[in-house]
Amino acid sequence: MINLIRSDLYRIFKCKAIYVLIIVIIFISLTSVVLMEPFSVGISVSTNTNNTNGVELTNELEEADSLGEYRRIMKEEGAFALDKEIIGYNINMYYVFIVLVVLAITTDFSNKSIKNSLSSAISRKEYYLSKLILTLLLGTCFIFFNNYISYILNYFINGKGFYSQLTDITKITLIQLPMLYGIISFLVSLAFLLRKTSTFNTITIPFIMLFQIICSGIIGVLRINTDFYMNYELQNALTNLASNPSLKYILYCFILGVLYMLIFNVIGYLSFKKAEIK
Amino acid sequence: MNDIILKTTNLTKKYKDFIALNNVSVQINKGDIYGLIGRNGAGKTTLMKVITTLSDRTSGEIELFENSDKDLTQTKRRIGCLIENPAFFPNLSAYDNLKYYAIQKGIVDDTQITDALSLVELTDIKKRKFKNFSLGMKQRLGIAFALLDNPDFIILDEPINGLDPIGISHLRETFKKLNEEKGITILISSHILSELYLLANKFCFIEKGKVIKELSKEELGLECSKCIFIKTPDITKVCTILEQDLQTTKYIVINKEEIRLYDYLDNSSIVNKTLVTHNIEVKELKETGISLEDYFKNLVEESLYD
Repeated sequence: MINLIRSDLYRIFKCKAIYVLIIVIIFISLTSVVLMEPFSVGISVSTNTNNTNGVELTNELEEADSLGEYRRIMKEEGAFALDKEIIGYNINMYYVFIVLVVLAITTDFSNKSIKNSLSSAISRKEYYLSKLILTLLLGTCFIFFNNYISYILNYFINGKGFYSQLTDITKITLIQLPMLYGIISFLVSLAFLLRKTSTFNTITIPFIMLFQIICSGIIGVLRINTDFYMNYELQNALTNLASNPSLKYILYCFILGVLYMLIFNVIGYLSFKKAEIK
Repeated sequence: MNDIILKTTNLTKKYKDFIALNNVSVQINKGDIYGLIGRNGAGKTTLMKVITTLSDRTSGEIELFENSDKDLTQTKRRIGCLIENPAFFPNLSAYDNLKYYAIQKGIVDDTQITDALSLVELTDIKKRKFKNFSLGMKQRLGIAFALLDNPDFIILDEPINGLDPIGISHLRETFKKLNEEKGITILISSHILSELYLLANKFCFIEKGKVIKELSKEELGLECSKCIFIKTPDITKVCTILEQDLQTTKYIVINKEEIRLYDYLDNSSIVNKTLVTHNIEVKELKETGISLEDYFKNLVEESLYD
């Protein structure tokens, strides 16, 4: 199993895609830090959540005619921990995870090179586990990289009043991990279920947006109590975990993350165990 | 030399209502070059996929290196495979692709990679990306992959597809060398019987998922070579006459009514005359001999009536 992980790392780091992904993460972090907005390039663009004067601020920002002016307005609004805000929007890592799953898993199915591994050296169980561990490993590295690079860039660009302690960043990163692992497990199980890069991308790319739209729609139509959704829907949970959550909340999110991991991986493995490898 | 490398017993694979493999029982001994012959869709690839666990079997048993089903994962490490088309990572070079699998198999000595590449004459283009390879080059890289890690048993599914005649001849020599010098057992499939005949020493004909004939190279040679075919109800008497009167033992009894005589090929009338003199009822006597392709065709046609 370790050999398969090692060989995949050798292969992945021989490809340009992984380096492009690193550059994209740096670019997104940089724009978020410079514009002082978490994930300025992404699906959850918004100004800082501490601000109570949202509409006025947005109007003021729209009138700013230079980046300097824009940043001056943002800074005058008062100090806030931008790095924590950025980490609160880690749902955007979903797209990073899609790339990682494609690199680690679906490419092997699409190229049909999986036959070479399964026909001679590796059992399906070993194969599934090593791919899962590899994706979790890469995912963890990218989560830490994203969070620390945002912290470092923010520290040097925005300076005092806008950054947190490194220990806080590390703590938030760690408590977010189970939920993020749940997302990774979902993608891994889908990769083993669909076994084709194009189908996997077609479904996963719009999935998170559609999921949120459908959930909001159902809640709106059926007038359901939104407490659970507001607390434990993935994006909300990740944002809440970045804003001094209670120990009880952290524990619930941990259990939820572990449950996601178990459920999705059982589904993924069972669908792969008896699958015909074409 | 009679160690069993692969033994399948009543192996069956069904896809809903379609039977891809129907009670296939074959045995491959150490040192064999076992040719699997069948038309497209006959079940050759399915058999190989089931053996290598790429496909699940419906019923039946597989023994590899005399280990039963439970130990297959471990014993599979001693196998090198090329199933269907060679599949590798298009953006990696030939060398990097093999390096990937070398790491996976726990091979630390990189010379094994260069040796495998040199065996299939890909050393000069080892840095070229797989996506820029011709079909023949891809096929050769697939064979290099199968030979990586010095396997005891290699399974090759139509490995000569896309190769030019010189490439085919080179590979044939390579396989023979590997078999003779390293004792590697080979299971090789093809629908080109004449090509397999030059390489294999055992043959298995498969049609519609069923084994229709299994025979050695000598037996196949005899079945196809020129002979006098005699059909008679007095088989024992005919044997005695052949040995005593015609002084020949170059014959084989096919069944209780048929004999093939590989002597007196230009004098069949003498044979006929001698038999008639001894009051033997000769139902049929004719000179016969067919090409490998015709033999294969006949077998397939016969199987359709079964």
